[in-house]
Amino acid sequence: MRTRWYGGDTGLTVRMFVTMSLLFAIYLAFLAVLFWAGVGYITVAVVGGILLLVQYLYSDRLVLWSLGARTVSPTEEPGLHAMLDRLAALADLPKPRLAVVDSEIPNALATGRSQRSAVVAVTRGLTERLDPPELEAVLAHELTHVKNRDVMVITIASFLSTVAFFVMRNFAFMGFYGGRRGRDQGGAGAFAAVYLASLLVWLISFFLIKALSRYREYAADRGAAIITGAPSQLASALLKISGTMQRIPQRDLREVEGMNAFFIFPAISAGSVMELFSTHPSLEHRLARLERMQREMEGRIEDPGHSSGADASGPFAA
Amino acid sequence: MRILDILLGRTRPVPSRLDSLFAISTAYLTLTADLGLASGGSAGVCFRPIDSARFEALGADLQGILKISGEETGAAIRTATDSYGFQWVTVESSDFQELVSTIHLVSLTLEERGFGDRLLAAVFRFLDGERPVYWVYSYKRGNFYPFAPGGAPGQRDNARELRLAAAMGRELPVEREIERWYPLWGAPV
Repeated sequence: MRTRWYGGDTGLTVRMFVTMSLLFAIYLAFLAVLFWAGVGYITVAVVGGILLLVQYLYSDRLVLWSLGARTVSPTEEPGLHAMLDRLAALADLPKPRLAVVDSEIPNALATGRSQRSAVVAVTRGLTERLDPPELEAVLAHELTHVKNRDVMVITIASFLSTVAFFVMRNFAFMGFYGGRRGRDQGGAGAFAAVYLASLLVWLISFFLIKALSRYREYAADRGAAIITGAPSQLASALLKISGTMQRIPQRDLREVEGMNAFFIFPAISAGSVMELFSTHPSLEHRLARLERMQREMEGRIEDPGHSSGADASGPFAA
Repeated sequence: MRILDILLGRTRPVPSRLDSLFAISTAYLTLTADLGLASGGSAGVCFRPIDSARFEALGADLQGILKISGEETGAAIRTATDSYGFQWVTVESSDFQELVSTIHLVSLTLEERGFGDRLLAAVFRFLDGERPVYWVYSYKRGNFYPFAPGGAPGQRDNARELRLAAAMGRELPVEREIERWYPLWGAPV
């Protein structure tokens, strides 16, 4: 066995797996209730399918358009392009398009339904405030989102949640068109059950998707550190971004709040919301993990209890 | 495993492939005889260091190995860090096979120390008349692609690159996806 220079994170993998399994179980239960109640699941499938397709096909363009992002060519931004080129080559990814947002808020995001159609966008505020190695770490974070296909994963994960919300909102409509045939005494009981199920599914999946989104962020942080080989640069970039974020007036921030799930850092001031509701982990947690990676790279793991088994001993395996 | 990695968001460093590097040795004859290219007399290997004392130790070892190799063959070996934070080991020699074997030695040393995934590319400089043309070996993909800087700074001569790739398709493993033909501007080669 060769020495690995990076450590694993079994805990993160396990948590992500558990979250996804729970989400899957909730969705299955939801479908079972719909089926039992005989509520137009054909309508549900058609409406859901269309929602998913639209989201999948157009979300990237929608996000970029709403931010006012402009794709830039290598001649316009030679430095940024060259940086992205090398990182993409290291990560073994086809070159994503690069877009720039004329905004003072330092932030970055990756979008696109596949690795080939991916777009990495950075704001002017980001390129101006960060040093090249920090900027590189942020780009690597976004590239990891592309590599992990996070847009696709989150879109699929939120699919039935969106359907549940839709059923809840347009309940009368669904019942009318679905035709509850075959359920003689279903009536009000089935109605209530479906409504309650939709509400519960939407509520529980809301938290599960937020948790999943946070785990994907940790994963992207790890990936960035592995690509650049410098966790501390990402930590420094996050500190700089968050420091500036808090000084930006609220009005500007609210305009971009809807895009939070795609950003490297949410456009809400830290500490103002509970982490449970957030798509991003807190700064302290992200910094702590990056610091641990840096320690592992030096071959000094101080608390082997934190991650388990083979991964903790990774750097020591001869 | 790929799907599971995507689902669980695991990043694994992409291992490097050294197996096809020597293909340029055999292709050299065609490159010079049929395509009219001449060896530019230099080559370089580009890798991304990691922020760790263990990697610095490797750097010292590498210096020692290269010093011995350089004294044996008379090739001029230099190291440099470019403006993107990547490290280069460059070799200058009139003997093309010498260039290839030194590049391989550097790659192998990194791989043996467990830093193989840090290798980005090896670059071989050729001259097409007066203008430089590079054959780039991608360690991640295990194949080659041409990189021909055009007249203006930041411009590539795509027509020439496509022509070279088409001509060498049989003798070299050439990267088929042109979106992976990453340029390496300002390479110290």
